[in-house]
Amino acid sequence: MSAPLTSRQAVLLVARREFTAQVRSRSFVIGLVITIVLIAGVALLGGFVASQSSNKTLGLTTRTASLQPALAQAATTQDVELRISTVDEGTGRAQVANDDLDALLTGVPGDYQLLGRDTVDSTVQSIVSTAVQQQQLRAALAGAGVDPVALSRQSQVATTTLEPADPDRGQQLALALVGSFLLFFSFSAHGQLVATGVVEEKQSRVVELLLATMKPWQLLAGKILGLGTVGLLQLVILGVIGVVGAGVTGLLTVPGAAVSMFVMVIVWYLLGFFLFASLYAGIGSTVSRQEELGPVIAPMIFLLIIPFVLTVNLLPNDPRNELAAVLSFVPFFAQTVMPARYALGVAPLWEVGVSALITLVAIAVVVRLAGRVYRNSILRTGSRVSLREALRG
Amino acid sequence: MLDIGGISKRFGTLQALDGVSFSVQPGEVFGFVGSNGAGKTTTMRIVLGVLSADAGEVRWRAEPVDAEVRRRIGYMPEERGLYPKMKVGDQLRYLARLHGLGEAEAAASVTRWTGRLGIENRIGDEVQKLSLGNQQRVQLCAALVHDPEVLVLDEPFSGLDPTAVEVMSGVLREKAAEGVPVIFSSHQLELVERLCDRIGIIAAGRMVAVGTVEELRTRDSAGHDRGVVLDVDGPPAGWADGVPGVEVVSVDGARTRLRLTDGVDDQDVLRAAVAAGPVHEFRRFRPPLTELYRDVVRDMAKEEKAA
Repeated sequence: MSAPLTSRQAVLLVARREFTAQVRSRSFVIGLVITIVLIAGVALLGGFVASQSSNKTLGLTTRTASLQPALAQAATTQDVELRISTVDEGTGRAQVANDDLDALLTGVPGDYQLLGRDTVDSTVQSIVSTAVQQQQLRAALAGAGVDPVALSRQSQVATTTLEPADPDRGQQLALALVGSFLLFFSFSAHGQLVATGVVEEKQSRVVELLLATMKPWQLLAGKILGLGTVGLLQLVILGVIGVVGAGVTGLLTVPGAAVSMFVMVIVWYLLGFFLFASLYAGIGSTVSRQEELGPVIAPMIFLLIIPFVLTVNLLPNDPRNELAAVLSFVPFFAQTVMPARYALGVAPLWEVGVSALITLVAIAVVVRLAGRVYRNSILRTGSRVSLREALRG
Repeated sequence: MLDIGGISKRFGTLQALDGVSFSVQPGEVFGFVGSNGAGKTTTMRIVLGVLSADAGEVRWRAEPVDAEVRRRIGYMPEERGLYPKMKVGDQLRYLARLHGLGEAEAAASVTRWTGRLGIENRIGDEVQKLSLGNQQRVQLCAALVHDPEVLVLDEPFSGLDPTAVEVMSGVLREKAAEGVPVIFSSHQLELVERLCDRIGIIAAGRMVAVGTVEELRTRDSAGHDRGVVLDVDGPPAGWADGVPGVEVVSVDGARTRLRLTDGVDDQDVLRAAVAAGPVHEFRRFRPPLTELYRDVVRDMAKEEKAA
């Protein structure tokens, strides 16, 4: 015989349905594959672009060949691989036209001409200008009786840091950025799923059947739990692929840092997801049809994107940025900023803990308010329920 | 007995329900009729606890209906409620589980009811791929799958083909025969008249008439006796004009409809008719529910105007 459901059973039944409905759907697998391809694609493209930009060719004529040492030095300083060949002007022009050369330097000292096909490569241009300037400077200094080598030795500034410079800063930065991106992606994708799911139940009126068997909060909790688990699964899959992939290909040489960042991303995913998902659910419950959902949840994207943009812009050049430090304790910002600061090694664990506690308090408040909006709106079909009305009940 | 006791509900400025009371006995099929917006759906949602009443109470077996009782009600909402992208079988099993059935029981019940309603071969299909009629059968399955003690169905017949109407009617009568009180709303009054033991008519949030069709025929909404109405076929038009205690309602060729004043013997009227010409038919007029409904709603409108 049937027995009454406990709250736990009800929530778990709902969560299980949400989870299997998502994971079994084709869009889940496709979404995952697309994300992996996208990330791999961006990585490959980045590598390709990087390898492209540092490989240049420049032709010199016999009259400009004297610049060769200065050019080679400028290229080394600018970290560009410059292949220099000496050709006669006619051959050089032909090679530029065929793209065999990026540029051809002609003319005489005081009247140099840099020739490109339809544009002159900016990197080559900058190397040539530097080299020509250097050469003029040397000539002028020599004319004035100053030794250029001595001058250059005297005008050097040595840099040193109080704390030993972290040799892994580059990788930390990469971890911070990848973590922020994964979090941003997970929050927006799965938060959106919660809102769509809420509206689907409302639009199809399934919610009337469901609410005859359970309380609104149980339905809401089950939905958030189920979809949150889907997001977690996706995050773990992406994270493991990322960490293992980067380790195998030798991109990542700090597995310890990667693993602890991975854990950090998971923790903040959970904190942030509950915060955003309950908001998405509350807002979603105020409309009756999927078509009306877009405009009302559009502002949510700003709430998600602002912390992400701040993180990406503030932290790479200035990990100890004060604004970022403050925001990493503010709910709705913390879930993105704090893990990035942690990855950069500027936030100790106790700061992470304090920030997590503050976010937990915020979750308690937001879940309560969103739950109230949900309870008061979920059965009201027709025109959109205003938030004030839904909060008052 | 399912007892709806004086429930009221206000939405903003609209008084949706105003002291609605009626009761449904176990084994009884109760038809709930009224125009759109009269309050049928609101009443049913309150019985299910999907909405809460501002005043009044719903009782089942003399106990207030709480979450535990609601779990044992079978409900079919007016606008169908199923996940469009979920498979029929998964969906019904899920709903059965939510009503408290164990995994095996839920599976067995789904097999039984989909078989009974003739959709057993659609179990693996997504709901959205089914025709509307079949979706409705799935919806009825959803209301029945947990073997409910009470059935509340909002417009179960709308959009069904005649075969499906027969199947649905059969199931409702069968559940009633098992001792389940069945409430359903419908605009198909002939169907309601044929299927229901008792009928409630609701207008503008108030119950204006409750009873068997026979009771509705004899008394109007204010409780006055409707009097005896006779249809006489045969004698030439105008034969009844001079007969005492008789009011001619309508004349259609050789057919005359009469209303008798209280205390007039219908046998006297028959004699007068035979005297006027050959009588082919002489019978008590039994107005169909359609007509009773129209009268009740018209009386209501008159009262509203007067008030």
